[in-house]
Amino acid sequence: MKLTIDQRWDLIDKIAKQTVTFGEYRHTLKDAIGELTIKPFTGIPIAIAVMYAFWSIFSSFAGTLFTDGFMVKLFDGHFLPWMQDIFPGAGGWLYYIIVGDPLANNSFEALGVLTSGFFVAIGVVLPAIFIFYLMLALLEDMGYMPRLAVLIDTVLHRIGLHGYAIVPTILSLGCNVPGVAATRILETKKQRFIMMTLLAIFIPCGAQIGIMEEVIPDTMGWVLLYLITGYFIFGYILNKIVPGKSPEFLIDVPPYRKPMISNLSKKVWGRIVGFFKVALPFVLLGCGIVNVLYLVGFIDWVGNVFSPVFVLWFGVPEATAGPLIAAFLRKDLAVAQLSVIEMTPYQMISAVVLVSIYFPCVATFAMMIKEGVKEMLGALAVLFVVVFLYGGLIHLIGILLGVA
Amino acid sequence: MNVLLMGHPNVGKSVFFNRLTGANVTESNYPGTTVDFTKGWMKIDGEDAELVDVPGTFSLDPKDKAEEVAVAMLHENKDAKVICVIDASKIERGVYLALEILEEGYPMVIALNMWDAAVDKNILIDINNLQRILGVPVVSTVAISGEGIKELTLKLKEAKPIKIEDIVKNAGGLT
Amino acid sequence: MAERSIAAIYFAILGIITTAFGIADILVTMGAGSFAFGILEIPGDLFRGVWGGFIVLSAGLFYLSGIRNFEDIHQFSKIVMGSILIWIMAGCDIFAMITESIPGGEDGPWFNTLNGFIGTYAPPYTPAVLLLPFSLVVVYYIYKRK
Repeated sequence: MKLTIDQRWDLIDKIAKQTVTFGEYRHTLKDAIGELTIKPFTGIPIAIAVMYAFWSIFSSFAGTLFTDGFMVKLFDGHFLPWMQDIFPGAGGWLYYIIVGDPLANNSFEALGVLTSGFFVAIGVVLPAIFIFYLMLALLEDMGYMPRLAVLIDTVLHRIGLHGYAIVPTILSLGCNVPGVAATRILETKKQRFIMMTLLAIFIPCGAQIGIMEEVIPDTMGWVLLYLITGYFIFGYILNKIVPGKSPEFLIDVPPYRKPMISNLSKKVWGRIVGFFKVALPFVLLGCGIVNVLYLVGFIDWVGNVFSPVFVLWFGVPEATAGPLIAAFLRKDLAVAQLSVIEMTPYQMISAVVLVSIYFPCVATFAMMIKEGVKEMLGALAVLFVVVFLYGGLIHLIGILLGVA
Repeated sequence: MNVLLMGHPNVGKSVFFNRLTGANVTESNYPGTTVDFTKGWMKIDGEDAELVDVPGTFSLDPKDKAEEVAVAMLHENKDAKVICVIDASKIERGVYLALEILEEGYPMVIALNMWDAAVDKNILIDINNLQRILGVPVVSTVAISGEGIKELTLKLKEAKPIKIEDIVKNAGGLT
Repeated sequence: MAERSIAAIYFAILGIITTAFGIADILVTMGAGSFAFGILEIPGDLFRGVWGGFIVLSAGLFYLSGIRNFEDIHQFSKIVMGSILIWIMAGCDIFAMITESIPGGEDGPWFNTLNGFIGTYAPPYTPAVLLLPFSLVVVYYIYKRK
């Protein structure tokens, strides 16, 4: 026999009456603090403090302690000179691919697979993602994420998503791949499409944030501002033009819980293993491919052919063609390569924004295909339009401000 | 034997899964951590059983893609037993899903998880009575600390299909 | 009764000082840059000064809004939240000091010298670090409630 919905609730009512008694319940301090973090008036300052702590600890740990404190010294002072010394055939093509510039005195500028590639991956990105994922796991396990979702609900409704979309967004800040997978919790095709497209275009991943913090600390704020603004502008537009519904969603707010160290370490360890299995090979591969393409003259050719687009439309030098190709494999590598090109601060900001938005990295791309080829193609179509419009818009803003 | 872990989002299914199979699926304190199913092996009385961590679902009437996966998992495994994980402090909503699954004829064990939080909130649940009415084994658990997990696996053997008419009768009829 | 008003007065004063520190943080950073007076130092960068200053200011306002009817759990939770914000800020500042104190600097040895290591922890301190010991008083009241 099957019951109707009303019969089921009726039955549950009877069962509950016979089995459950609700004792007197007094609000505890934990509940009261939980409420403070949800109400907008008190919750927003708290959210701002949480973001501050996230960023402060991230840059202290990854930047000050590991990369600047030890890794730069290790790679520039010891590893790079050693590689330049022992690798045979300076000036030859193999040397160029593996070690890069024989005269370079820092690991960013050498551009070789084993010099810059290793430095970017191990020296900069590894400490960055370690601390990033540790803190992300802390926020997840404490139960802060759904609260953030409730807080930001009204804003996200404007772009056709509900507050819960903050969860894929934040996961994407770690890596876009789990972010795309997490869009499954959104109800309609429309919402999932908008979310996936926005993530793939506008959300920089932890590795990219780590490298930006290292190479363009002064201007990365602008990059992030452009990306966040784009996220909302294009979210708003997509919401208007994509057919479908954006239903209301009730968010279940779980109680705060004490994170367990075993679970935290398990999560972070999983990420680190993933880094060595996926990210590291792609960084090295990306480095190698770009070097080979330089050697055969392909990148200069692309630079020349698209020169009007780069210079006139986006206002960035032709030389950004190389990093843009690398960006298909790894965004962090692309930003590192951009950082050694001679550019004005404005050009650097535009170029980094372009690298971020122009194409999802290959891992994200694969994940999007898995989620649906049709959606992926749609997202790509949106992406090309967005890159042109937004890239042009940033150039226009630059011209108006007189810096381009 | 085939066992499915089902329940609402964020009731701790993945914690059960990791406890029971020794696997490493992601656990978090937010609904929607598991969006795809994971399979693992556990021992029940020395016998191998396949355990599936199913994404959380509010009902068998799917609202999003993760819930679609959950319902499809249930319907693909017609001979499976179900461990229905219920948040002990939100028992009504959980029982709704349990009833839906029971109506489709699946044998079930109910885990009233996060029992400690319900006790903190002064919510008292008469487990014996609940067991009598529903006719399925009910175990109070705290998955994070492992409390009740052993009992839960032992009770899996007792799970058998239930006639919904019996539940209605035990509860004192419908209005 | 007497103890209750002592607590209220204590958190009122702490709230006013915290608020003042927050405002000072923001104004100094937006105006002149860095500033040091005795054991107080306001770092001049936008991140710590303005963003961080806003958080210190919020902490002060949390204290001030929580002192009335202090016994009520919802009011008391605001006091606790004020302290938590201070702990977040001070924790970040102290963590920043720790990460600075360990490496030996750009041209130096791998690790810092002992003197350099200890020297990093010498005053002056940021407002949040100075407020930290005073904000810990709330722990006593949390235990007293239980």
